[in-house]
Amino acid sequence: MAGKCEKRVLSIQSSVVWGYVGNKTAAFPLQMHGFDVSPINTVQFSNHTEYGHFRGQVLNDTDLDDLVAGLRTNNLLQFSHVLTGYIGSRSFLEKVADVIKELRNNNPNLTYVCDPVMGDGGHLYVPADLVEPYRNTIVPLADILTPNQFELELLTERKVTNEHEALEAMGRLHDKGVGTVVLSSTDFATEGTLVALASTNKESGREVYRISIPKVDATFVGTGDLFACSLLTWLHRDKEIKSAFEKTVATVQAVMARTLTYAKENTSLGTKPGMAAMELQLVQSKADIETPVVTLQATKVSQKSL
Amino acid sequence: MATHTTNSDELDCRVLSIQSSVVYGYVGNKSATFPLQILGFDVSTINSVQFSNHTGYGKWKGQVLNAEDVSDLFEGLRLNNLLQFSHVLTGYIGKVSFLEKVGQTIAEMKQCNPDLMFVCDPVMGDNGKFYVPQELVPVYRDQIVPQADIVTPNQFELEQLTDMKVNSEEEAFAAIEKLHQSGTKTVVLSSSSLGSNGVLLCLASTAVNGNRQRYRLEMPKLDAIFVGTGDLFAASLLGWSHRDGELKAALEKTIATLQAVIKKTLAYAQKAAGPGNKPTSAQMELRLIQSKSIIENPSIEIRAENVPQS
Repeated sequence: MAGKCEKRVLSIQSSVVWGYVGNKTAAFPLQMHGFDVSPINTVQFSNHTEYGHFRGQVLNDTDLDDLVAGLRTNNLLQFSHVLTGYIGSRSFLEKVADVIKELRNNNPNLTYVCDPVMGDGGHLYVPADLVEPYRNTIVPLADILTPNQFELELLTERKVTNEHEALEAMGRLHDKGVGTVVLSSTDFATEGTLVALASTNKESGREVYRISIPKVDATFVGTGDLFACSLLTWLHRDKEIKSAFEKTVATVQAVMARTLTYAKENTSLGTKPGMAAMELQLVQSKADIETPVVTLQATKVSQKSL
Repeated sequence: MATHTTNSDELDCRVLSIQSSVVYGYVGNKSATFPLQILGFDVSTINSVQFSNHTGYGKWKGQVLNAEDVSDLFEGLRLNNLLQFSHVLTGYIGKVSFLEKVGQTIAEMKQCNPDLMFVCDPVMGDNGKFYVPQELVPVYRDQIVPQADIVTPNQFELEQLTDMKVNSEEEAFAAIEKLHQSGTKTVVLSSSSLGSNGVLLCLASTAVNGNRQRYRLEMPKLDAIFVGTGDLFAASLLGWSHRDGELKAALEKTIATLQAVIKKTLAYAQKAAGPGNKPTSAQMELRLIQSKSIIENPSIEIRAENVPQS
C-alpha cells in the first residue's frame, strides 16, 4: 500500500560513534524532512577511518541476513526509498542487491538512491571485486546514482576528462536504466572551480544541468553522504531535477562553510585543523538543512552538447 | 554566514548515548537521538545492540555488543582524544560485564571532566518483572547510580535499587531519599501507579544545598502500552535540564513532550488499525519524526506541583 510505505527510507551505511559519516550523516537531515529512517549500520566504528586510529565492529553477511529476516518476519520490509553508501565486500553488496529486489517486489514504486562508493582520485578504497557487481547488478537497479568522476569511469569503463565525456558516460548509465545521475563534483573545469552535473532521463527527453562551485581549500569527510541523502529529500519534495540539484548543493555548501568556520575558530593560527575539528557541523546546520538558501544557480546544458 | 556560538557553548552540548538500536522503530538510541539533535546536542551513539525491531513485537533478530566490543569503541575514542563529552546518557544494558565497563569509563571521564553530567535510566524491569539478569541490580546500585547526576527509575527499579517497598507517594520519596544519600542529585520517577485511578504520577526530587526540592505531576492514564517512551523521557529530561538549568521547567517540558508524542502516536495507531481493532506493534511505534515541532517547542499543559518536605 503506497500510504504504508510513504517516506520510509531503508539506509544501509556505516555508523560511527563520534562524528558524521554514513548513517550518522544521512539520518538527521532525512528525519528533519519527515522521513522515517531505518538504518542498517554496516559497521560501528569509534570514528571514521581518516583519523588513522579507529576501533569497532563490522557487519558480516549473516548479520545482514538476520536483520532482514527479522524485518521480513514482522512484515516491515515496506519502504518508499532505499539509500546505500559505502559497502566493504562483494558478498555483502550482492546481498544488498537481493534486498533491493525484494523491497521493489513489495513496493514497485520504490526509489533506490545509490552512492556507488568505490574510490576517488584514481584510487580504489574498496576491494577491486566490487566494481563488477556495482556495474552489472547494482547500477541497473538504481533510480538515482551519485558517482564521483572516478566512479563514473569505473562504472562505464570510459575515461572522463572533460564535460563532454562526463555527459556521454552519464548517458550510458541512463541506457542501463538509471533515471537520474548526479556528479557532485568534477575537477576538469577552470582553476578554482568545480563543476557539478545532474542528468535526468525523462519521457520528454534528457535534461542536464550544471552548477559551478568555488573550490574550497579543505578536505571534508561525509559530504558525499550528505549530498546523497539531500538529493533523495529534494527530488522527493520538488519532484524535478533543477530545484533538487540546487538545494542539494546549497545544503552541502552551507554545512561545509559552517564546518570550516568552526574548525578555524577551534584551531591555533597556522595549524591545519584536525579531524575532530573538521567533523561536519550537521546539527548546528539544522536551519540550512530545513531551508537551504540557493546561491549557486543551475544552468541548463543545451541539447546540442549531449 | 550565520553567526556562530562560542567554543565553550559547543563543548557544552556533546552527549555520549549508550543504548540499544533498532533498524525499524523507536527505542533506545532511535528514540533518544533525534530529540537531542533537535534540541541542539551533538549526539555520539554507542549502539549496545542492533536489532531488526524492538522485542515487544515477539520476534526480532540482530546483534549484541559485548564488553570487549564496547571497550574497543572506548579505546578508539580515547586514542583520538574524543572522550570529550558534556553528558553521558545510558539506557538498556543487558550484561554485567558491559555495564561494569560503562561504569568504569564514566568514572574515567568524570575524572577528566568533573562537570560531566551523567543521566542514567537504570533499565531493569517493570511491573514486578525483570527483563535483565538480576545480577545487574548490585552493579547499578553500587557502581552506576551513585555516579549519576540524574536517574530515572520506574517504580519497580526504584524498589530494586533501594531494597525498599514503594506502594505510596511517601514510600517513593523515602526510597528516593536513599538514592540522594548515596550520591545521586536528581531522581525522577517518570510514571507510577501511585496516584488515583486513571492517573499516572510522576515524582521528582533534587538535592539543593542540603535541602530537597520535590515535585509531582499527574498525567492521564491511557489504555495503551507504548514502547520507547522511557527513552524519550530520559533524553528530553537531559535536553531540557541542560537548556533550562532547573528541574521544574525541565520536568514540565519533558512531560509535555511525552504527552504530545503519545497522543499523536495513539491517534495514528487507532486510525491505521481501524475501528475496534487493536493496533499492531508497528502501528504503535512512536510518531517521533512527525513530532519535530513539539519536541522543539513543547506546549506545557501539565504543571509541576511543589511537594513540601514532610
